[in-house]
Amino acid sequence: MNLSSKSNLYLGLFCLAVALFLVIVWIPLDTDTGLVEKVRRRLVVGDALAPTVAAVFLAIGGLSLVFIERNASSQPHLTAQNLRFLGSIFGVLFIGLTVMRYAGPLAVWITNLMAGESLEYRLLRDTAPWKYIGYFFGGTLMITGIIALVENGISGRGLRIAVLAVIVLMVIYDFPFDDILLPPNGDV
Amino acid sequence: MGTLDYIWLGVLAVFQGPELFSILGFAVSVTLVMIFCGFLLGVAVGATPGLAGPMAMAIALPILISIFGYSGDALLPVLGFLIGIMKGATIGGAVPAILFNTPGTPDAFMTTLDGYPMAQRGQAKKALRVAHFSSVSGDTFSDLVLFVCAPFLAIFVEAYLDFPEKTALLILSLSFIAAVIGGSPAKGLISMSLGLLAAYVGTGEDFYPRLSVGSQKLAQGFPIATAVLGVLIIGAIFKGMEELWHEKKSKGTIAVVADSGDQRLSFADMRRLLPYISRSAVVGTAIGALPGIGSTLAATLGYTLGKNRYQKRKSVDDPDFGTGAPEGIAATEAANSSVSGANLIPVLSLGIPGNAAAVFLILAADSIGGFNPGPSVFKFTKDAVNPELVVAFGLFTAMFLANILNWTIGGFFMRSMAIMIRIPKQFLLPVVLLVTLTAIYVQETRMEAIWFALGFGILGYAMRCFAMSPLPFVIAFILGSKLEDSARQAFSASGNDPFFLITSPIAAAFIALSVVVVTIALRGQAKVYQN
Repeated sequence: MNLSSKSNLYLGLFCLAVALFLVIVWIPLDTDTGLVEKVRRRLVVGDALAPTVAAVFLAIGGLSLVFIERNASSQPHLTAQNLRFLGSIFGVLFIGLTVMRYAGPLAVWITNLMAGESLEYRLLRDTAPWKYIGYFFGGTLMITGIIALVENGISGRGLRIAVLAVIVLMVIYDFPFDDILLPPNGDV
Repeated sequence: MGTLDYIWLGVLAVFQGPELFSILGFAVSVTLVMIFCGFLLGVAVGATPGLAGPMAMAIALPILISIFGYSGDALLPVLGFLIGIMKGATIGGAVPAILFNTPGTPDAFMTTLDGYPMAQRGQAKKALRVAHFSSVSGDTFSDLVLFVCAPFLAIFVEAYLDFPEKTALLILSLSFIAAVIGGSPAKGLISMSLGLLAAYVGTGEDFYPRLSVGSQKLAQGFPIATAVLGVLIIGAIFKGMEELWHEKKSKGTIAVVADSGDQRLSFADMRRLLPYISRSAVVGTAIGALPGIGSTLAATLGYTLGKNRYQKRKSVDDPDFGTGAPEGIAATEAANSSVSGANLIPVLSLGIPGNAAAVFLILAADSIGGFNPGPSVFKFTKDAVNPELVVAFGLFTAMFLANILNWTIGGFFMRSMAIMIRIPKQFLLPVVLLVTLTAIYVQETRMEAIWFALGFGILGYAMRCFAMSPLPFVIAFILGSKLEDSARQAFSASGNDPFFLITSPIAAAFIALSVVVVTIALRGQAKVYQN
C-alpha cells in the first residue's frame, strides 16, 4: 500500500488528534467560560460550547475518513513537491512583504544620514514619494519573484509587467482616494 | 405600502438614484452605470482563463467601498456592480472553453466537449452564439424563479421559524453543504468545522477573547475578508501557480482555424435547442436553489439528460454529443448558467450563501451595512417603508437589467473577448495576488491582515492538494457567528431547555434531516468503495 492510498487515513487521524487537542487542551485553557455558565442565577451558553461543537464535527469528519473513506480510489495528498513550491512562494512573499514594510523607513533613515535631517517615516507615510517607496519596491519584488519562480529565471518581461502592475495599482488605489493608505502605511 | 409599491420603489431606486451624468436631458443614475461596468468586467474576467467572477468581485469590493463609502446610497451601486460581474462572468466562461479547449471554470469543462470540436470544424462563432443564447436563457429563467420564490420563502421562514428552528435550519444548511460539495462528505465536514473554528477565534461574549492564546493580534478575530479571500482566492492562485511551475514552459502557439459554413443562429436552430435549454434550466435552477451545490453538478446533469434525449432523436448525419453537437453546448451552458440566479434564493430568503458569488454579495452588504440578507428583508410593512425591501427589489431590477445587457450586447462582447486567452497566466496570477493583498490591506489597514490572508491562502492551497473543497469552510466561517447567536437566543428563549433543537417539531425535523443527509452521503461513499 503506497502513501497515496493511505492519505485519507493519515488526514483522518490528524484531524482526530487536532479535535482531541482542541477539546481537551486548547478550548478549556483558552476560554474563560465553560460550555454553559450561570449568570445571575440563569444558565447561559458559554463561550466554549461553539468551538467544542466545531471540534466534534472535525472529529466526525476525521472518523469518517478513517472508517468510511479510508479506501477511496483517489486520495490526493501533499507531496514533497507541493511543500517545496509552497516554501519557495512563501519565501518570495516574505521577502517582498519585508521590503514593503521597511523600504520606506530605510529610505528616510538614509536621507537623514546623508542630508543630516531628522525626518520620521511615520509622519511622512501619507506624503509622496515616501508613501510609495515600500509598496513599489515590495510589490515589484513580489511579482517579479513569483514570475521568476514559475519561469525558472528572472526575465525582463516579468520585471516590466511587475513595475507596470504596481504603478497601475498605485494609480487605482491611491490617486483618487484621500482616505486610503497603501501597505504598509496604515500601521507603521 | 403594497407589494407593487415596493417593486416600483426598487425600480426607482435603481433608475433615480444619485445621478452620474445626463444624456439629452435624461439623468443616468450611478447604479445603472455600475451595473454596465460590472457586466463588461464580468465578461472579460469570465473569458480569461485563471480568473473567475468571484475573484473580480473580491478585488473590486474594497475599491467600490472606497468610492461609495458606507452610506445607504452605496448599497445599490456596489451590489449592482457585483451583480454585473456575476452575470457577465456567467456568459464569458464559455469563450476559452469553445475557442481554445481551456475551460475557464470547472463547470465550463462540459462545454469544451462539443464547443471545441465545433470550433475545430470552423463553426466557432456559431458555437459561441449557441453558448450565449443557451446561457442567457437559462440565467433569465432562474432569475424569474428567484424573483417569485425568494419573497415567499422568506415570508414563510419569518412566519413559521423561531430561534430554535432557525438554529436547526442553519445546522441543516451546513450539513447539506458539507455533505454534497466536493464529492467527499468527510472532507466536507472537516472543511466546515475548520471554518467554524476560525470564526470562533477571538470572538464570544466573555471579556476574554476565546482561543486567542493571549495574543492581541488574534483578540480581534480573523477579519472576514482575510478568511474568505485567503482560502478562496489566494489558495486558488497558489494552486494555479504551482501547476504552471510544473509545466515550466507554455505548450506552444495556439492554432487558428478559419471560419467555414453558416455562423448564424437561425430561428430554426433556436427552436431545435429550446427543449435542451429548458430541461437544463429547470435542472440548474433546482440545483442552484439548494445551498452549496455548485454549477458543475448542474452542468453534468444537464449534459447527461440532453445526451439521452439527443441519442433518441438525432438523425444519422448529426454529430454525436462530444463530437461537436450544438445541443451539447446548449444543455451544458443553460444548466450551469441557471444556477447563478437560483443560488441567490437561499441568500435573500435565508441569509445563507450557496456559492462564492453569493459570499461576496453578503460580504458587500455586511461591509456597507443597512442591508442584512435574510428573512427579515421581506417584511412588507404597510405603515412605514422597509428600506431593506426596497434594496431587495432594487437588486432584482439590477439583475433584470444585467439580463437585458446579456441579451443585447452580451453576445457581441463575449465573442470579442477571445483576446483574453492570450494573457499568460504566469504574469496574470502574481498580479492578481498583489491586487488581492492590496485589497485586503486597504480594508483592514494592518499588516497582520495580509499575514492572516496568506495563512488562509496556505490552508486553501492545502485543501486543494487534498481535494477538499474550500467552499464549506467559507460558508461556515460566514455563518459561524450567526449560528452561535441564534443558538444562544434559542437556549435563552426556551427557558434554558438543553433540548431546544428537538422539542419543536420543525427544528427536530431539520436536525433529523441533517443527520439523514450526512449519513446518506457517507453511506453512499462507503458503497462506492465496497464495489
